Amino acid sequence: MIPGDFQVKKPTFKKLFKLSVMGGVSLGVLLVGLIAVTWVLSAWFGRPIIFANNEGPDQPIAFPHETHVDGIGLECAFCHRNVTTEAAATIPSAGLCVTCHQVVGDDLPEVEKVRSMVADNRPIDWVRVHRNPDHVHFVHEAHIRRFAGTKEVVKELTNSETQIRLEDAQRIDAEFEMGQSVEISESQVCSICHGDVTESEKVRQVRSLKMGDCVDCHRANDAPTDCSTCHY
Amino acid sequence: MLERQGTDMADQKWGMVVDIDKCTGCQACVVACQSENNVPINEEGHFTQRRAIEWIRIERVWEGEFPDVKARFLPVFCQHCDEAPCEPVCPVYATYHNSEGLNVQVYNRCIGTRFCANNCPYQARYFNFWEPTWPESLKNQLNPDVTVRSRGIMEKCTFCIQRIRRSTRDSDREGTELEEDNRALSPACVNACPTQALKFGDLNGHLGEEAAEHLEGHGGHGDSHHGGRGYHMLDSLGTHPNVIYLKKVDPSAEEVEAHG
Amino acid sequence: MAITRRQFLTYAGGSAAGAVIFQACGVPADELLVQSPVEMPEDMVSGLDNWYATVCKQCGSGEGIVVRVMEGRAKKVEGNVDHPINQGSHSVRCEAGLQSLYHPDRIRSPLVRVGERGSGQFREISWDDAIGRLSLQLKNLSESGKSNSAVMITDPASAHIGMIVDRFMSVYGGRHMGYEPLERTGLRRAVKQVFGQDVMPDFDIKNTNVLLSFGADFLNTWGSPVRYSRGYGEFRQGDRKRGTFYHVDSRFSMTAANADNWVYVKPGMEGILALSIAQVIVSEGLGDLDAARQFTENNSLDLDAFEPSKISQKIGVGAETIRHIAEDFAKHGPSLAIGGGATGGHSNGLFNLTAIYALNYLVGSVNNPGGVVFNPAPVFEDVPVVPRVDSFLDFQRLVGDMKAGSVGALMVRNADVWHGLSDSSGFKDALFDVPLLVSFSGFMDDTTSMSDLVLPEHNYLEDWGSDIPDIGPGYQVLGIQQPVVRPFFESRGSQLGTRNFGDVLISLASELEIDLGLDAENFQDVVKNSVRELYDSNSGSVRSDSFAGFWNGLLQRGGWWDTAAIADNVSTIPILSEPQDPVFGGGEFHLIPFTTTGIGDGSGASIPWLQATPDPISTVTWQTWVEINMKDAERMGIEEGDVIEISSSVGSIEALAVPNPGAPPLTVGVPVGQGHRAGGRYAKDRGSNIYAILEANIDSASGALAWASTKVNISRVGRSEPVSKLENTYSEPPRDEEQLIIKITPLDS
Repeated sequence: MIPGDFQVKKPTFKKLFKLSVMGGVSLGVLLVGLIAVTWVLSAWFGRPIIFANNEGPDQPIAFPHETHVDGIGLECAFCHRNVTTEAAATIPSAGLCVTCHQVVGDDLPEVEKVRSMVADNRPIDWVRVHRNPDHVHFVHEAHIRRFAGTKEVVKELTNSETQIRLEDAQRIDAEFEMGQSVEISESQVCSICHGDVTESEKVRQVRSLKMGDCVDCHRANDAPTDCSTCHY
Repeated sequence: MLERQGTDMADQKWGMVVDIDKCTGCQACVVACQSENNVPINEEGHFTQRRAIEWIRIERVWEGEFPDVKARFLPVFCQHCDEAPCEPVCPVYATYHNSEGLNVQVYNRCIGTRFCANNCPYQARYFNFWEPTWPESLKNQLNPDVTVRSRGIMEKCTFCIQRIRRSTRDSDREGTELEEDNRALSPACVNACPTQALKFGDLNGHLGEEAAEHLEGHGGHGDSHHGGRGYHMLDSLGTHPNVIYLKKVDPSAEEVEAHG
Repeated sequence: MAITRRQFLTYAGGSAAGAVIFQACGVPADELLVQSPVEMPEDMVSGLDNWYATVCKQCGSGEGIVVRVMEGRAKKVEGNVDHPINQGSHSVRCEAGLQSLYHPDRIRSPLVRVGERGSGQFREISWDDAIGRLSLQLKNLSESGKSNSAVMITDPASAHIGMIVDRFMSVYGGRHMGYEPLERTGLRRAVKQVFGQDVMPDFDIKNTNVLLSFGADFLNTWGSPVRYSRGYGEFRQGDRKRGTFYHVDSRFSMTAANADNWVYVKPGMEGILALSIAQVIVSEGLGDLDAARQFTENNSLDLDAFEPSKISQKIGVGAETIRHIAEDFAKHGPSLAIGGGATGGHSNGLFNLTAIYALNYLVGSVNNPGGVVFNPAPVFEDVPVVPRVDSFLDFQRLVGDMKAGSVGALMVRNADVWHGLSDSSGFKDALFDVPLLVSFSGFMDDTTSMSDLVLPEHNYLEDWGSDIPDIGPGYQVLGIQQPVVRPFFESRGSQLGTRNFGDVLISLASELEIDLGLDAENFQDVVKNSVRELYDSNSGSVRSDSFAGFWNGLLQRGGWWDTAAIADNVSTIPILSEPQDPVFGGGEFHLIPFTTTGIGDGSGASIPWLQATPDPISTVTWQTWVEINMKDAERMGIEEGDVIEISSSVGSIEALAVPNPGAPPLTVGVPVGQGHRAGGRYAKDRGSNIYAILEANIDSASGALAWASTKVNISRVGRSEPVSKLENTYSEPPRDEEQLIIKITPLDS
């Protein structure tokens, strides 16, 4: 033996066991953690529809809301017609677009796209921006009915038929103030959840629209919180 | 455990009256319900494994044997009991009693313990032991108003709550009263029944008046010193169902007979 | 525990795979898009779901239905509240249209056979090609003077489809035959003989007091079950005294279960029982004595030979029971006697039915409320109400012609003759002597699978047409059938996909250069032009200032009816067929084929909802079972689930034994409709076909097949299979005297 050599003492079985278990457990925890993080991150970044964390998807036709809403003054319900009668607001048919665009916008490539799709009898496949899972039955019409009309802006609601909360009112128009009596048209209600669609080129989801968001608003507005209101 | 807040205070208490004297056992209600509610197709294997799903089923009860034989038909479905045995046992509160008197099943909360089905004395709850599948073209028929369930979820009769919701919405929007005998409101089974043995309505309204008459003994044929024709199924269990059955009339019966 | 490198890699790989699966089990891509159609479906223009009225063609009763259509898809069928036949209710079979419209095994284009006949190998061809081929063959036949060798077999077709088929075949020079598996030719003859009516009458169950039915499973599948059930609901607990219902049958059917009294009678003896009841009525001076006298004199009938105690033993019904029924029937009117089903399916079927319906005469229930109510003359002169139905005898003659080579072309529409005609007819073999078999079915049923050329027609939910209910409500009714959705195969272009049958005949006629004498180019216009008569008459449920308004009104209401257009009150003295005892084949057990609620006569076998509908009595689904008496089963050592071989002189089939307490001794009941060789995934190779082994016994008075006269021997094969039934699905809940599910009460006096 050379001086300086040392022999590692053979560890006892008990020690080995303890080390292995700890090692195994930490490895397991690490793996689980890694999987969870991978999953969550990929979901957050890979599924913008569900996690609402994006700048809006690219659409097959770059439809500019600003031109149509601010520029011409179209109401939301002019195109999204069923918002006052049924559950879905509905995207308009391409046939509605060409009622104007068969003559308007001759030199615009996007308009050409619409015209050619109608001519070929092909539907336009928009990328969905807002989506609720299948087990949620969300009804636009009830919400439009709730908020449209003459309302007094208040901090806390005491009468849901004649009042609207300040924070909801300000989503419609940032200039609304407490105590004001405001006239809300059906199309203005849309901004409460969908924000101002004219602020950017592409439509994007601006509120999380998760169940928590829905239930908080329902509670504050004296609306039903019964599960079977939406889940059936 | 019921949150009664604001518009949760509904005026209605939905219920049904089933006239066993009129029921012929024709199964029209069974298929109408399957069509309306996206009930999975029951294949042969589902029946042989005793796991077929029929939200409303017709039980045929034998009496006697040839030549003195009779058979009775009884439609059985979720009774929407006020004191439902299935409600307190759900560990995740996926089933509860809402303010309209309905026993609500929230599909997305259900984790499939099947405790509720175990507790139901009417055996009216069904579990999706298999993933419901339809050939691609048959999916065109599925009702968009009703959630399509996946494997591992309990389902049962909902009194066609989607129709209740739709009709309520329509009447609110149009500013009209919700009428009980509106066909858009009645469940699919009630509309289908060829003999009109099933009746749906508000137990706080017209149907309630009718039901009270039957239960007290002033209405219908066959009322005698035994009381009216109305009764609740398995009422001694104290479930307080919202479904009233009207006794079958048999002229040859000596006194009130019954089948357990 | 130590973890090896290998293990580590396995776990890492597994978890990575898991993570990938998490990702993959996401939202399907097509849920992340939303489409702008080029034109909005009508229901989305308003945002409200649309209901379109049409007529159900799943079975023959012609119920009016409304179909809920969302985004161009049919979602739900409900009864049309306005339609007089069903008044808002519907049966199991009415919903089936949705599944047949979207059935995965529909025929998607015209087909021509490649390979052996019956091999099921087909090639798609275009419509021009298909019509060209068929017209070429038909032209060849007519040019060689053999146009009468072309035979078209259809279901009992009335209204405009019936008219166009009749016209096509008569102008071409061929033959048209109507086919019904459990034929009711005897019933129609009986109605003609007893009431002098060509059209089936309505039965006013709603207003009757004593209902006496023989054999007819009218609450289930016979006649117009939804209409009868509506009347039955009122009969039981309507705003009137509760009626009494006797049902005489040699099988415990669903209708028998609903009767206050089920009277078992030995098979085939119903006519004798009816005459015995007549004897009691007459001898006790009840009922209409003049009518009774005319009846017995006209038919040289010695009623006293049928006095109850004389025939009680023979027919298996106690004399006291007969007297009781007769007295109730005659004293507590209005009363109604109905007969049908197996009663008419015996060798003395016509006698049975005429004797039964004659009872109505004896108590004054002819064309009166609460009795038999005649249906009026047809709405249109040239459009038949009475569908053409040929008897088994006629089909035997056809088979003879086929064997002799004098059938050059056999065309079949909506009539599964391969499945329904018994082997004893020889049809299956004779088919190979027919050079051309053409099918117009939209489904690969048995006959279509044997055919050479297929020209598929639309499903009834996507098609135009009309319907004059065979069993009307006592006044004129015309139901309008309109498409509720676009044709399912429309996107395949006009040369593929399906077409309206009337349009196909019109195209054929123009290829053959024959003039059908129609004033329209397509079938929809044929119907539309035809209803001008109704518009001009300015009567009935739809009236308008303009024809366009009238047509819209028709489509909205689902049809036209006129409650004032009732039948003339003409009475004739019933003609009774010669009283005779039934004759049976050899065998120990009476075989009673019956139609079960779901699949009916077999036409619903391809529809999964119908296959999964429990039979009300046995609750069995999807299979062919045999109802056996409990004591017979015990004696033979048969238990539920045992596979039984049922053999007649024609052949044998296998079925599962399901003993039940209601089945009479020495009688077996077998449901019809399974045992298909084709018919889509839900019908193919499932169960057994009882039609095949029926003996060719014929009721000589009418030519009808005596389908209930076969007797069979049964034996255990030696194996058993699980029975797919609904009952006993759930464990029995704890029961004691307090826990009751059905309560029964007597009538108050």
